[in-house]
Amino acid sequence: MIDVLDILEPKNTHLLLWVLSLLGIPLISFLLSFFAGNQAPGIATLLIFINLLIATTMCFEFWSSETIIKGEWFATAGRQFTYAFYIDKLTLMMSMVVNFIGLMVHLFSVEYMRKDPCISRYFAYLGLFLFSMLLIVLSHDLLFLFVGWELVGLTSYLLIGFWWKKRKATTAANKAFIMNRVGDLGFLTGLMILFAQFQSFDLEVIKSLMIFSEIEQGQWVTSYLYAGVEIFKSVDGRWLSAAGIALFCGAVGKSAQFPLQVWLPDAMEGPTPVSALIHAATMVAAGVYMLARIFVLLDAQALEVVAIVGAVTAFMAAIAALSQFDIKKVLAYSTISQLGYMVMAMGVGAYTASLFHLFTHAFFKAGLFLTAGIIIHQLHHVESNKVSFDPQDMRVMGGLRKHMPYTFAAFLFCAMALVGLPGFTGFLSKDAILLNVAVWADLKGGGFYIPEVLAFMTVVFTSFYTFRMVFLVFFGENRLTRILGDGQITSQIKEGTRMLLIPACLLAILSISWALGLGFDAQDNWLVRALPTPIYLVPISYAAQSLVDVPDDVFKYLHPLVVSISVALALVGIIIAYFAFKPGAKMERRFTERREPVGALGQISFYHWYQDALYQKLFVQLIIWKSKGFDWIDRHMIDAFVVRFGQLQVIIAHIIKWLDRQVVDGLVHGLTLLVGSVGKIGRSMQTGNIQSQVMLSFLFLILLILIFAF
Amino acid sequence: MQLDALLILAVVMFCAGLMVAITRKNAIMVLIGIELMLNAANLNLVAFSRFDPQALQGQIFTLFVITVAVAEAVVALALAFKVYHYFQTVDLDKISTLKK
Repeated sequence: MIDVLDILEPKNTHLLLWVLSLLGIPLISFLLSFFAGNQAPGIATLLIFINLLIATTMCFEFWSSETIIKGEWFATAGRQFTYAFYIDKLTLMMSMVVNFIGLMVHLFSVEYMRKDPCISRYFAYLGLFLFSMLLIVLSHDLLFLFVGWELVGLTSYLLIGFWWKKRKATTAANKAFIMNRVGDLGFLTGLMILFAQFQSFDLEVIKSLMIFSEIEQGQWVTSYLYAGVEIFKSVDGRWLSAAGIALFCGAVGKSAQFPLQVWLPDAMEGPTPVSALIHAATMVAAGVYMLARIFVLLDAQALEVVAIVGAVTAFMAAIAALSQFDIKKVLAYSTISQLGYMVMAMGVGAYTASLFHLFTHAFFKAGLFLTAGIIIHQLHHVESNKVSFDPQDMRVMGGLRKHMPYTFAAFLFCAMALVGLPGFTGFLSKDAILLNVAVWADLKGGGFYIPEVLAFMTVVFTSFYTFRMVFLVFFGENRLTRILGDGQITSQIKEGTRMLLIPACLLAILSISWALGLGFDAQDNWLVRALPTPIYLVPISYAAQSLVDVPDDVFKYLHPLVVSISVALALVGIIIAYFAFKPGAKMERRFTERREPVGALGQISFYHWYQDALYQKLFVQLIIWKSKGFDWIDRHMIDAFVVRFGQLQVIIAHIIKWLDRQVVDGLVHGLTLLVGSVGKIGRSMQTGNIQSQVMLSFLFLILLILIFAF
Repeated sequence: MQLDALLILAVVMFCAGLMVAITRKNAIMVLIGIELMLNAANLNLVAFSRFDPQALQGQIFTLFVITVAVAEAVVALALAFKVYHYFQTVDLDKISTLKK
């Protein structure tokens, strides 16, 4: 039998310095930036550049090794807690992506945030974010992962509410934080279930004990040694599924999945580079990353839930993205939709495809956000005391191709990757996901075709909303002229500066598949080979059928079909977008006058399935009523009791005061009076007159004689 | 002459001296009172010696006492003079510095 403490033995602690430097530099950046004032951008960017170099060095150093770094942290109640870091291909790639996009965003922010008075705070938060994100990436202990998890939630909150003077920004920050807490409650529950069963948060322990746990007559049975003592745990088998689903709840909150996804569109109130880094590329992907870490612990039921939630999210968000006016809102819904793809892929067991999409999405979505950031930044410059408009609103854009050609090119590249056109990274990863979903649906049959249908429908919608955005923003004439009636204003729109363009263009280039060295085959490239799908470790009767076991022929047979259908659907979406929103088309001309879309479908899309309104009615109102009730109880019952109690106290105090005055004080005064009068008598004898003293001496002498005589 | 008469005389003298010493305000008068009490004691000594025919110790002791009393009177008068010099008065009621 395995002894848990043997697995928890410290190991490879000499390699800890690598991890500490990777984590420490962003932390130093966080601390330094706070006090650096105007120097903060330079310092922070330099530090993140160093960190990227370290991550690259680590890639070369550790690429082909799977290293676990572990050491003692603390022990309590007979249980050993350790810190554990894992370095394998996945963590190395993730830390590369986090650092690289972090660096791009830092560079971009130098220009984008230049005029902000709180720039040092901004860069400090970015440093804290990178630290906590890397903590999630590197830690191999669920408790550590949870710490990082909460820290990214905090930094996300801080950065969404960065412009705290805007009321919308602060409410959005609160919403994001609270929504994430709901999910984290699930995560915590999952942690508790796993700890109750395995007595450790260490993933290595959990995985090695999970292999030996069994399902016996519906009971989930585990037995192992802990410090030589045999431990036997047996709980209802449904707890195994519950653990997986509970942990997935954390991912639902962080990765903005249905039903907690409503915080992400609101999170766009934060600065645009933040949206690129946190709410598109890295933090929201942390949920998917966490699912990848616990992938082998998920059983069939949990995976089904994951797949269905992912598919529903992808579809719902794609619908919502169709009719938004705000360019960042479109990108936000698109992010939710793509995260839905990743989660769905995890659910169907396509570990590799999901992470593949995570990496490619990180680059092209960060690129899209940064280019959108350039547009917003440049339009914001056009604003003046006389002219005021919302620079994020697509109704004031149009025809920007002529004004910012480089931005247009970068945006178009990233957009094509998002749509999944051949030759771009998005095509390969989306293709991989769709293929795996198709295989999974064939395996399961029945109602499990629904996620597949939703996934394919999402492809059409994705390409439609993406190219709607491209046409509305970059083609035709600038609508600002029409809105403001000022013909001169368009000439003020200029291309972004080099500091803004370089990061955006780099990310755009990296969304071409050859730039990442990925070639043209979704099934066979270095990224896919680096991240093979692991085998489920849950007891065999609860495990899902692994896609690894499916013969290659099935994939080979379905692959051409899936590719052609997805590309065809993407093209259909683009064509519809072209006819609807090409310059001069009917919808394009009416676009400016619109306040909100007409028709039931349009409304559902614009208001995101009325989910916000539903939550407002259901939960917010409920909580307000509950609070009012508690307020009433507080005021009328608890307060009344407290007041009565206080009054009683006052009465008692009065009685005690009377007693004190009359009895205790009287005694004290009487005593002093007595002592005083005795003193006075004694004093009166001491006249200082010699004669009276002589007389007294004689008197006492006579008394003495009398006493002795008789 | 009876011993009782002599002793009563001595008592009267002593009491008179005591009265003078206690009641008079003048320091000199107090000294005179003290001399009176001293001589009352001397009278006692002499009286008892008269009725003791074997020895004359009482009379000789009285002579000594008178001699010492002279010296004592000198010292006391010097003190009285000094007190007067210091306080500008010999009124004992006013010289009550012991009380302070």
